[in-house]
Amino acid sequence: MAAPLLFLAPALVVVFAVLIFPILFSLFVSGFNWPLSAGMGERSFVGFGNYVELVHDPEFWNSLRLQLGFIFIAIPVELVLGYGAALLLNREFFGARVVRTLLLLPVFFLPIISGMTWRFMLQPRYGPLNTLLIKLGVPEVTWLSNPTYAYAAVIIQDVWRMWPFMFMLLYAGLTNIPNELIEAAHIDGAGFWRRQRSLIVPLLMPTILTALLLRIIDALRIFSEVYVMTEGGPGSATLLFSLFTNRVAFGYAKVGMASAMAIFLLILSIVFAATLVRRNMSLDVLEEKAGGR
Amino acid sequence: MKHRRRKLFMNIVIGLAAFIVLVIELYPIGMTLLNGFRRDIVILSGRPFELSQLTLRSYVLVFKNPGFLLGLKNSIEVGLLATIVSLAVGAMASYGISRYRFRGRNILAYGFLVFRMLPQISLVIALYLMFKAAHIRDTVFGLTLSYVSFNVPYVIWMLLPFFAAIDRSYEEAAMVDGCTPFGIFWKVFLPLAAPGLVVSAVFAFINSWNEFMYALILTGVNAKTAPIAINSLIGGETLTWGQACAAGTIMLVPVFIFTVAMQKFLIRGIAAGGVKG
Repeated sequence: MAAPLLFLAPALVVVFAVLIFPILFSLFVSGFNWPLSAGMGERSFVGFGNYVELVHDPEFWNSLRLQLGFIFIAIPVELVLGYGAALLLNREFFGARVVRTLLLLPVFFLPIISGMTWRFMLQPRYGPLNTLLIKLGVPEVTWLSNPTYAYAAVIIQDVWRMWPFMFMLLYAGLTNIPNELIEAAHIDGAGFWRRQRSLIVPLLMPTILTALLLRIIDALRIFSEVYVMTEGGPGSATLLFSLFTNRVAFGYAKVGMASAMAIFLLILSIVFAATLVRRNMSLDVLEEKAGGR
Repeated sequence: MKHRRRKLFMNIVIGLAAFIVLVIELYPIGMTLLNGFRRDIVILSGRPFELSQLTLRSYVLVFKNPGFLLGLKNSIEVGLLATIVSLAVGAMASYGISRYRFRGRNILAYGFLVFRMLPQISLVIALYLMFKAAHIRDTVFGLTLSYVSFNVPYVIWMLLPFFAAIDRSYEEAAMVDGCTPFGIFWKVFLPLAAPGLVVSAVFAFINSWNEFMYALILTGVNAKTAPIAINSLIGGETLTWGQACAAGTIMLVPVFIFTVAMQKFLIRGIAAGGVKG
């Protein structure tokens, strides 16, 4: 009985010290008016005051709206692109393996280099995208200094980077569907759309849901790429939730308020993470698959 | 016969389409790699690419840039330290979960996984206050600790399937011979688990290598990592694209190798909680 505890003790100590304790501490701090450093005012207990203030803060709603918009626009686009590519590439042709591997490079790209790359792509005058627009006879767009375009740019960056992630998961799911099944549907006279609707999509549904959950959890965390691209600007046009929290804590020096936001995001993320874990992760299945006894 | 010809034709068309998609998708990456070999002034002029623009100047500048060099050194140091610690702690915990049945086993295992997926911003504010109070902000030790926090749960779940696949008869034989549980784990089990340990170590290192937010908030001048140094190359008024791209390319080398070499394990890695920083 003591043995498992002995093996787990170091991990439990780490998890307590750098995960559980910080969360409890955040919860504590969120009950205070807590300036960033001593010279910036007095610390005072406000109870749920920070949470109440948050609900009345238009900047909070702005960042929440941007964050949700980001999730609801970027992820469906990634899903459609990834699904299409998975269908297209689920066959052998010359160089298929190479294409499938290289497509994944952006996914594991350092997020900040992805942000940097897109900031470069979108620069006025010398950025490749504007050069292309000029060649096509379309007027130049000052992407990152226009609120709407900057928001679009942040989404484009994410779609570019993460649709191959969707592709990777859906492709793996697709290869698990027996070819005979699809061919049988073909022979029975089911057309392309009908095959998708009544055969492939239903069979892929578990994979699709997993992929969506993973992407939502990931999108709730987004920070680095956007920070490097726009720092949340112009103004607060791309101030997604993590960026806004960061600004409140270290820009406005309101640590109590930022902690309240951190707790809010934490709860939201736990809901999605727990759903994913309950749906997809099973110790028993994992052990069965491995065939260990 | 006709059917086969049609199939071949389709495969060529699809191969071509896939190739075009790939070129568009990889264009921004190619751009970054290429700009590392061009001078800032050429990049900023917007002149189309010519072979004569190629130069190693930006690389020379980057390798003379004390900020980037320090960042690179810290990135390697923190990456290796965090990997070693997470692997040691994670392997023990994973072994405990894999080989013993005890109350709360499921909750513990799933709890680790949920913790891995929490947003960094939710933790970093508290970590900032804690580290400041403990005087470990802006130290390699502090940053390593923060990287261990997300790598331990990650390593645990990366290792579980590897561990489950290892036959227990070796351990049982060692037990009969009178080995202690820890002796069995250390001398009998770990050597058998070497491939899984290597894969997990590589993933843990890349996690740390790619990380940005903790480094941004929990470090200052001393312990800043390479991503922070790169960010300052294109921050504010200075737009040294050439240097930033050269530095970025240096950072990408391990990532490229990782993506190609670890292909078999990428999906499993994502299932264990993603690879993003």
